[in-house]
Amino acid sequence: MRRLWQFVPTLLGVVLLVFFLFNFVGGDPAYLLAGKISNPAQIENIRRQLGVDQPYAVQLWIFVKQIASGDFGASWSTNERVSEIFATRLGPSLTVLVPLLAISTLLAMAAAMLVAYLRGSLTDRAIMVGCTVGQSISILVYILVFQYVLAYQLGWFPVQGWGITFAENLLRYSVLAIIVGVAVSLAPDIRLYRSFFLDEISQDYVRTARAKGLSEHRVMWVHVLRNAAIPIVTNILLQLPGLLAGAFLIERFFGIPGIGREVILAVERSDFPVIKAVTVYVAVATMIVNLAADLLYKAIDPRVQLK
Amino acid sequence: MSLGSHWRRSAASAILLLAVPAALQAADPPKILRVTFQAAETGFDPVRVSDYYSGAIIEAIFDTLLTYDYLARPAKLVANAAESLPEISPDGRSYVFKIRKGIYFADDPAFKGRKRELTALDYAYSLKRFYDPRHRSPYAFLFTGKIVGLDELAEQAKASGNFDYDAPVAGLQTPDRHTLVIRLKQPDLNFSYVLAFPLSGAVAREAIEAYGEESPSHPVGSGPFLLKRYTRSSKIVLAANPGYRGKLWDFVPGDDPRQREIASQMQGKRLPRLDGVEVSIMEETQSRWLAFERGETDIEYQLWDVAPTFMTDDGKLRPEFVRRGIQLDRTIDPEITYLYFNMQERIGDSPNPVGGFGKERIALRRAIAMSYKVDDQIRIIRKGQAVRALYPVPPGVAGHDPRYRSLIPYDPRAANALLEKFGYRKGADGYRRQPDGAPLVIRNASTPTERDRQFDELLKRSLDSIGVRLEIQKERFPELLKLEKQCRHMTRMAAWIADYPDGDNFMQLLYGPNTHESNNACYRSKEFDLRYEKSRRLADGPERDRLYHEMTRLMELDTVWLLLDSRIRNALQQPRVVGFTKHPVLHAEWLYLDLAPRSGG
Repeated sequence: MRRLWQFVPTLLGVVLLVFFLFNFVGGDPAYLLAGKISNPAQIENIRRQLGVDQPYAVQLWIFVKQIASGDFGASWSTNERVSEIFATRLGPSLTVLVPLLAISTLLAMAAAMLVAYLRGSLTDRAIMVGCTVGQSISILVYILVFQYVLAYQLGWFPVQGWGITFAENLLRYSVLAIIVGVAVSLAPDIRLYRSFFLDEISQDYVRTARAKGLSEHRVMWVHVLRNAAIPIVTNILLQLPGLLAGAFLIERFFGIPGIGREVILAVERSDFPVIKAVTVYVAVATMIVNLAADLLYKAIDPRVQLK
Repeated sequence: MSLGSHWRRSAASAILLLAVPAALQAADPPKILRVTFQAAETGFDPVRVSDYYSGAIIEAIFDTLLTYDYLARPAKLVANAAESLPEISPDGRSYVFKIRKGIYFADDPAFKGRKRELTALDYAYSLKRFYDPRHRSPYAFLFTGKIVGLDELAEQAKASGNFDYDAPVAGLQTPDRHTLVIRLKQPDLNFSYVLAFPLSGAVAREAIEAYGEESPSHPVGSGPFLLKRYTRSSKIVLAANPGYRGKLWDFVPGDDPRQREIASQMQGKRLPRLDGVEVSIMEETQSRWLAFERGETDIEYQLWDVAPTFMTDDGKLRPEFVRRGIQLDRTIDPEITYLYFNMQERIGDSPNPVGGFGKERIALRRAIAMSYKVDDQIRIIRKGQAVRALYPVPPGVAGHDPRYRSLIPYDPRAANALLEKFGYRKGADGYRRQPDGAPLVIRNASTPTERDRQFDELLKRSLDSIGVRLEIQKERFPELLKLEKQCRHMTRMAAWIADYPDGDNFMQLLYGPNTHESNNACYRSKEFDLRYEKSRRLADGPERDRLYHEMTRLMELDTVWLLLDSRIRNALQQPRVVGFTKHPVLHAEWLYLDLAPRSGG
């Protein structure tokens, strides 16, 4: 319960920060919405309709009420309900990001465990050099090269697009985006997870297990993996709120109508209702995930006590 | 053989005969044109949008009273839902339209199963919506202050919170179902252009009221296409409207061989030829280019960045593309880009070194204009895909003067001499000071984008060549617009694309009373304004051309703008696209196109 109560000041901080940034850094949306030619009266009319002519305290109170009700109103630029935006854009984002996260995690864990086990070997060094190089390359380069080679040159995938059915989207349109996402995340994940495994491999309990005559298979897959899983789970869980914000570059290049693309559009259009909703949802998701991570630690390692 | 079996055999034969062509027909895949938008649409309610892409869809779905001849250049108005061009009173204040009979809105649940004919009342209702403050229409400026009685109704609506669509309006009358009379407050011989603008298409009141706030995603029109499937910011699928009245492709080609070829392919065909249009939103150039190259799209005309990939330096398609049957259509956009100087003496509380009409201020503005190499902008930033703008009215727009010669050459040496002459001396740091010895710093406003950074660098290089210090003031776009409306930028590079193909749409950018609205330079010149007001009372013709010429000279003498360029639009088409040529004003040419069967298909 104490952890739940901690949500309140955290969320309040997020609300104040977003509100401050939008009102003092973001620019006046009325001028964008007014079109090519407008006069001060029209600007004032728009400001009145958006409610941005209200005192800051009133606007802030409206924001708080929106969080409480979960109703962030409608987009200022398209008039679409914010709830509808989330309902329709989250699916495409998750269609790409959930398999991406699952595949990259499994591959990274397997590779990390292997190189940790073979620490100092040629394989370890070769993979680590590869990871360093891979990590140094911008995601934009991955996208441009993979799209050019795999979609355009080899024709294995459509260059971009999005269909109607889930199966079509997952098996046809998402595959290249997932491959790019996995390629991008694999290098940093392998390096990180390798360090987790190495930490565990050097622990006394591993030496004891080996001294007891346990097989290497059991030592690695049961003892080491179980203990290394705690920081790995933390890392994965910390990535989960990001699913809500989508992966805007991947979505833009591959024409995926996801939430990441919508967030960028909202920022470009100073569409505050959408920006507010995304920020609040991501903040809440982060807090919930952090709590879930703590609970999971306890499940994975009974020695962990929640205070 | 019994009579019964004979009948059965005959019937079977008949069914077979009928079925064969039907089967053949069924084997023909539907003609779906696949195109892209480089930015997301915002919706399809005509009064609520301002972006080009939403306008293209709206143009395909709704019927305007007037439209443009597909081939005539410069663009020429023709009747659309109106039977003919309007009767305009000699004083230019009254427009009478006869609406064609037998035009129907696409079937929609909002009509409760009845066929719904398009009438003059629909146009009256649609025009009133631009005045409804609730819609905060970005294109209200096309109508505001023009139609008798509607501004007053809008004021009442602001006070009451409710726009009375049923209130009689003196300037908007429908004496019968198919006659619309518009009365204007001021003479305006160019108002017809406004009624060819896609957003002036007719909506049905029942549909708007039925869908309410959802109307941007439920467009119901009487045009050639209807919205079949819509995934916001991703995919827009249009289908041919089965109830469309149809049109015949009947245009007279000019001397251009390409136009003649199109006419020979399309003349006399019933429109639309396409079964549908599939629009994909692709923001990234690489995605659009690769999709076109892979044959995933049929027309692509937003490829400035990769133009050298498919074009030679002299603007021809590279041979490898010609061999594949790819077609290229090049047109100059009806737009200008320009560097403007804030003409006010002060910006806020600070003196404005480039403002005012003093000789030394004019000399400074002139020197800056003479130092900027527009040709470099075209070569480096535009990658050759633009032409020099020499007149405020661009090519293809009524009032353009191709013979006009600018007073302002590119001549940094003369610019330096001019500054010396007017007392702008260089200091120890190599930069000039104002004649009174105060520091001279030019602040140019731009957005924090890669494209604007290139312009900033070119301007910096130019000003360095005449010893004038430049600072770049970076602002996010909304803030940039706000400061611009408040006349708080010192200089900025701006662009204007035609809303309608008449010079007035451009000349109004320098009209004094439009300061804080569209006159970014905040230029107030009695001589210019008098001529502008006179030009408003004239139709396109030699007398108005003379006024435009004088106004342009005045603008140059005061050096309010440095005209920069107009971009070239390169439209690539797959071999199967038939009849495409980019119209300078129409947003989407889909109504006039056809698709040849796929080879081998």
